[in-house]
This record gives sequence, structure tokens and C-alpha cells, in this order.
Amino acid sequence: MLKRPTLAALAAIAIFQVSPSQAQQATEIRLTYSQGQFQPSQVSAPADKPIAFRIKNLDTKAMEFESSSLRVEKVVAAGTEGIVNVRALKPGRYEFYDDFNDKARGALTVQ
Amino acid sequence: MRRAVPSGRLHTTALCAIACLFACGNGTARAEDANSWRELETKYIFGFTTGSGIGLEGEKEFTVESLGRFGKRDGSYAATETKYEFEFTPSQFIQIEFGALGSTHNISGVTGLDDRNQAALAGAFAEFRYLAIERTSNNPLSVTLAVEPTVRRIDETSGERVRNFEFETTVNADLELMRNRLYAGFNLLYEPEVTQTVIGDTQREAAFGGSAALSLRVVSNVLIGGEVWYLRHYDAANLTSFTGDAVMLGPTLYVQFTPKIFMVAAWNTQVWGREIGNPVSLNLAEFQRNRAKLKFAWEF
Repeated sequence: MLKRPTLAALAAIAIFQVSPSQAQQATEIRLTYSQGQFQPSQVSAPADKPIAFRIKNLDTKAMEFESSSLRVEKVVAAGTEGIVNVRALKPGRYEFYDDFNDKARGALTVQ
Repeated sequence: MRRAVPSGRLHTTALCAIACLFACGNGTARAEDANSWRELETKYIFGFTTGSGIGLEGEKEFTVESLGRFGKRDGSYAATETKYEFEFTPSQFIQIEFGALGSTHNISGVTGLDDRNQAALAGAFAEFRYLAIERTSNNPLSVTLAVEPTVRRIDETSGERVRNFEFETTVNADLELMRNRLYAGFNLLYEPEVTQTVIGDTQREAAFGGSAALSLRVVSNVLIGGEVWYLRHYDAANLTSFTGDAVMLGPTLYVQFTPKIFMVAAWNTQVWGREIGNPVSLNLAEFQRNRAKLKFAWEF
């Protein structure tokens, strides 16, 4: 009888990565996207804490905030703001970019 | 005379030619510093070997993937299985895939197999992938665990009507050897299955093996490489009744056409094999002389 709830709990942990670190308050990183560039393009955050990117797109067309190493993507329509939640990260450098504009790059340094 | 060896060379040459076409057609990219390239999703860059990538949270993808198997000991043998697949990534650690299988069998004069010329809806599958170790700028290794239950109504090898249940379990690992440039991939495979034939027989078997692959990013959107597979076959799910093994080797190609569309091509030829109790070269009872993979994917 214990087996099913245990399996369900394991599945929930795997899918949603429920962990003590995610109960922590996320480090918020504010970015603006203007004239095809991120401002600031180099940001930093502490290790082992979840991160919330708040991206304000000031351009007149949509952008897609994307990162292979952060494993996130989100389309932010022109003139709107998008929030991207990222898991607690290990120390390192994580690049991000606009998938619609190859020249728009930035990086997050986690220490 | 239309056996697969010349065909294998032809396909290998074709893969290399396609790769060269893309590589040479992009001279400006060749001069670029690989550090300026975007990071790469590694799942599909190694041919039959699967990389550790699980996609991006929220990403959805539709893919069509055809696997072809060609050449037995005698006669003419060609079989394909095509996956029509939807995959999505609900979290930053999990990827889920599911879809339908279509198959074709063109068999003539092969000992132990009925002649057949058919196309059919073959079954369905699902795959669950969990990223166990993630790559960072300080750690080049990434490891994903995957399970893929599959149900078939058409036998993969013979094309006969059956009820087949397969449970493929794999460890997919890869290493970034040179940043944005050179990658190594490794798979460990355990694939038990049970098959019920139309006359009521039940057959249990399993495949066990592993692979190693290298993939070089020659320009920002093209990778070429090679892989080697060692596969063992058992007439029991618990790996107790060994029947033969084989080594397969071949080139791989990955081309990213746009940020949302890519293709994968690979060709493997059996270069060594043995059948227990049959002193012949190669194992063409449980494996094929050649196999090919062609995949197209659209992300959205």
C-alpha cells in the first residue's frame, strides 16, 4: 500500500524538482531588451538559489529569451514583460540570447 | 548482388558529401571563433547514439525519424520503422516523448523469414528522460537516464503480425571535449522484450550493449562524426541465454537549418559479429548488415 504514494512522490519530485532550495526566495534579475540588445548583458547571481529573470522588451517586435545551459525559453511580446524561473544553479557561466536575433547575447555568472 | 556493402559505401559517401557541401558553403562561418557560437543541444548530434540533452523547459517538438535495416545472410532484406513523435519538456529536468510507429518490410529469399512486401501501422511508444547530471561551464559531463516502453503489432525483423512489448532503458552521457566544438557521446543500453506470435508462442529476448561517438562542429550549424556500437543479444530478458553479438560502425551528420529546424543522418555497418553455434562471420541472424537513420525535427 505504501508503494503507490511513494512512486507518485518520486515522480512529482522528478517532474517538478521540489527541493528545499526552491522553497527559498528567488534571486530576481532584471533585464531590458532594447534595440536588439540586453541591458545589462552580464549579470551575476549566488549559487544554489533559484533565479527569476524579469525581461522587459522595449523593442517594437517580439523577442525570445532562450538559453541551452539554463534550459529555458520564453517569447516576450513587444512592449511587454516576461518572467523566466530558473532552478537553483551550480557555480559557472550560463549564456542566454534572443533566439530571433543572433547578435543579442548575454551571460549569467553564478558564484 | 544488390547486397548492402556497396550500398553502405554509397550512403557513407553521400553523408560525407552533404557534410562537405554545408561545411564548404559557409566559409565565413569557418573562420569564426567557436566561442562565439551558441551552445548546442546535444541530444541528436551523435547519430544512433543519443546525447544527454532534454530540450528547454516549455519547448515542444515534432519529429519524423526513420530507421532502416538492410541486409541478411542471403536474399534481399530491407525493413524500416518510422517514429511520428511529439516531444515536450515540462521542467528543467524532464523530457517526455510519445508517438506512433509505422513500418515497411521488403523481404525476399531470406532464410528463416517469409517473403513479404508490406507497409503497416506498427505500434506506439513513449519515452521519459531524466537529466541526472547537468553540464556547467565547470563540468563538461552531462548524463540522462531514459526509459522507452514500446508496443508493436508488427514484428520489427520479420514483419509478421505479433504482440510485442519492449522496454528500452538507456544511460545517455556526453562530454564537451572542446568548448562549442568537439563532443563525445556514450550510451549504455538494456532492451528486454516479450513477443507473442499469432500461433500463441511467447518469446523473450533482450539486447544489451553500448556505444561511443565523437562529433565535431565544423561550422556553427553542422556537425559530423562517427560512432561505434557493441550489441549483444540474449534469448532471455535476464541476460542468461547469450546468442550472439555484433560491432557496428559508421558516420553521423547533424545539420541545423534554422534555430527551429534540424536534421540527423547516420549510417552503421556491421564490421564484426558472431552467432553462437554458427561458425560464420558477422551476426546476421539477430542484427542487420547495415542500418540507417534519418530524422527531421521542428521545434515550436
